[in-house]
Amino acid sequence: MSALQPGDVIFDEARPGASRERLALFSAGTEDPNPIHVDDAFAQRAGFPAVLQQGPMTTAHFAALLAAKFGARLKSLDITFTAPVFVGDALRIVAKVESVGDTIALALTAAKPDGTQTARGAAVIAR
Amino acid sequence: MNMQLEGKVYPPYRLKPDRALVAKMLAGQGLAGTADAVPPTYFIFLRGETRGVDLFADLDIPREKALHAGQRYEWFAPVGWDDEVEVTVRIARLSAKESKAGKLWFADVEYEYRILPARTLAVREITRLVKRS
Repeated sequence: MSALQPGDVIFDEARPGASRERLALFSAGTEDPNPIHVDDAFAQRAGFPAVLQQGPMTTAHFAALLAAKFGARLKSLDITFTAPVFVGDALRIVAKVESVGDTIALALTAAKPDGTQTARGAAVIAR
Repeated sequence: MNMQLEGKVYPPYRLKPDRALVAKMLAGQGLAGTADAVPPTYFIFLRGETRGVDLFADLDIPREKALHAGQRYEWFAPVGWDDEVEVTVRIARLSAKESKAGKLWFADVEYEYRILPARTLAVREITRLVKRS
C-alpha cells in the first residue's frame, strides 16, 4: 500500500436505491425499532415525504467496502450524515486517499445521482 | 433533552453475534450471500435499546424529533462468531445550539465492546443523536 498517493480513488461504487423491503430487513438486522424507516405516515408526521434509509446503512456500505479492501488494517471510520436518504434513492459511495504517512487517511463521500451529498467522513488505515 | 444525564454510565449488557441478524443486515444492504466474518458495524448502539439502554426515552428524544447525525467506529481486535461481548455505554457529551430551524440538542454516546472473559477492547462506537425542537 506504500504506492498509494493522495488523490488515489480506493473505490467509487454505485448503490441502487433500497426498496421498502430492504429497509425493513436492515432495521430487523440491526434491531432498530424506529418506524421512520418503515412507516410512511410516521415519516410524514416527522416532516419527511417518505420513509428514510437508515444512516447506519451508509456507514455499513463504507465499512464493508473498506474491510473487503483492507481487512484488519481498517482502524477507524467516522461518518457524518449530511442529508436524508429516502426509500429508492441511489447512492454513489466514494473513498479517496487524503494523505499517506504513518497511517493512510481516506476521505469519504456519499451522494445521490443529482449530486446531493448525503454523508461525508474519514477512515484511517494502518500501513 | 435531559442534559443532566451527561456522564451517565449504564449497567453493562452482553451480546453475541447472531448469524440470522447478520443475514438480514446484508440483505438490507443489497448484498447477496453470507458473511465469513462478523461485519465491522454489526455492533451498533441500536442493540442496546431492548437491553436497558433506551437513549430516546432516557434523553427525552421523541422519535418524530430525532435525527441521526453520525457514527464513529474504532476497531482494536476482531470479534469471532462464538465470542461473547460485554457492552458498556456512556453518555459522553450533551450540548445545544440555536439554528435557523430552532433549537437543536446533540448527544454523543460512547459504546465499548469488550470480548469476554478477558474484557479485551474490540470496538468503540460513538453515535451522535440530534433532537429537533
